[in-house]
Amino acid sequence: MATVLTWLLPGAGHLYLGRVPIAVAAFVLVQGLYALGLFLSDGMTFEFLDPELRGPFATALTPEAGNLGGLIYQLRVYGFGPESPRVQPDTIMLGTWLTALSGMLNVLLMVHANCTARGTQATRATGLVAAAWLVPGGGHWLQGRRLRALIVFVLLGGLLAAGTLLAEGSNLSRERHFYYWSGQFLAGAPAAILEFVSGRPRITGEIPNADVGLLYGCLAGLLNVLAMLDVFGFAEGVPGAEDEPAQAPASVQPEGAEG
Amino acid sequence: MQLVAHLLQFLVAALGIVVMGAFYSHSDDGEALRSVPKRYGVFVASCLGVVAVMLVVQWIWV
Repeated sequence: MATVLTWLLPGAGHLYLGRVPIAVAAFVLVQGLYALGLFLSDGMTFEFLDPELRGPFATALTPEAGNLGGLIYQLRVYGFGPESPRVQPDTIMLGTWLTALSGMLNVLLMVHANCTARGTQATRATGLVAAAWLVPGGGHWLQGRRLRALIVFVLLGGLLAAGTLLAEGSNLSRERHFYYWSGQFLAGAPAAILEFVSGRPRITGEIPNADVGLLYGCLAGLLNVLAMLDVFGFAEGVPGAEDEPAQAPASVQPEGAEG
Repeated sequence: MQLVAHLLQFLVAALGIVVMGAFYSHSDDGEALRSVPKRYGVFVASCLGVVAVMLVVQWIWV
């Protein structure tokens, strides 16, 4: 319940569990990030989608879906924009990154709410999953599983680097490859660094291996989700010592229910 | 030549999928790595099966 509530509205799960300070801080941080992203991008992120791809569920596979409340707000207020193209603000790429980051942060908040409700080490588990997202293999490394960490880093980092080389950097633009970018975003900091360092190179000719490059980059991000789940599962197996299991208010806690 | 390149590209992607799948299935590193060759073989053979079905469908209907 706490996890689902957090998905709908950042902080709501923690409020349900009686963790008011965390709830308020999480709401301000996650929604503030989304609001800043919307401001910087003028809400134009979903205008990247080709007209034939726009629909009620077209945004379900975006990182913003991690913050469902924010996503629904954006769709209701900005939608897919007017029918005619309009001028993009200079800060649109930073803005779209911030809204995506807000979705990812809310996923981490869901992990925290889930672990808090179950009485496992919430802060540690959330930190490990965050590290696993930020640097593929990072979560494993912090768990002391060094061999696995190195293999995951080399494998996923290699796939991302090879994908970027094969696609000649064309994979690094959300505007150009909306859905592939969403997958690639899950590879964390390496994808972000590549994107910002490259400056999203212009395409000046045919790229023979663009499709394979896109696939590799996206695959690296999607496989990093497996790595994050592996880290979470391993962390969840450790009995909680740091946090006390949270109790929902008696008035809203059904008999025998757990968070 | 292009077919060979595509096959190699597929084998690289398949290796990533199989290794991560093995890690997800086994918490012990040694056990996970030992399971990779068999998993890799099954994955590639299954993909070949899908390719065969697609070629048959294409041959019949297209």
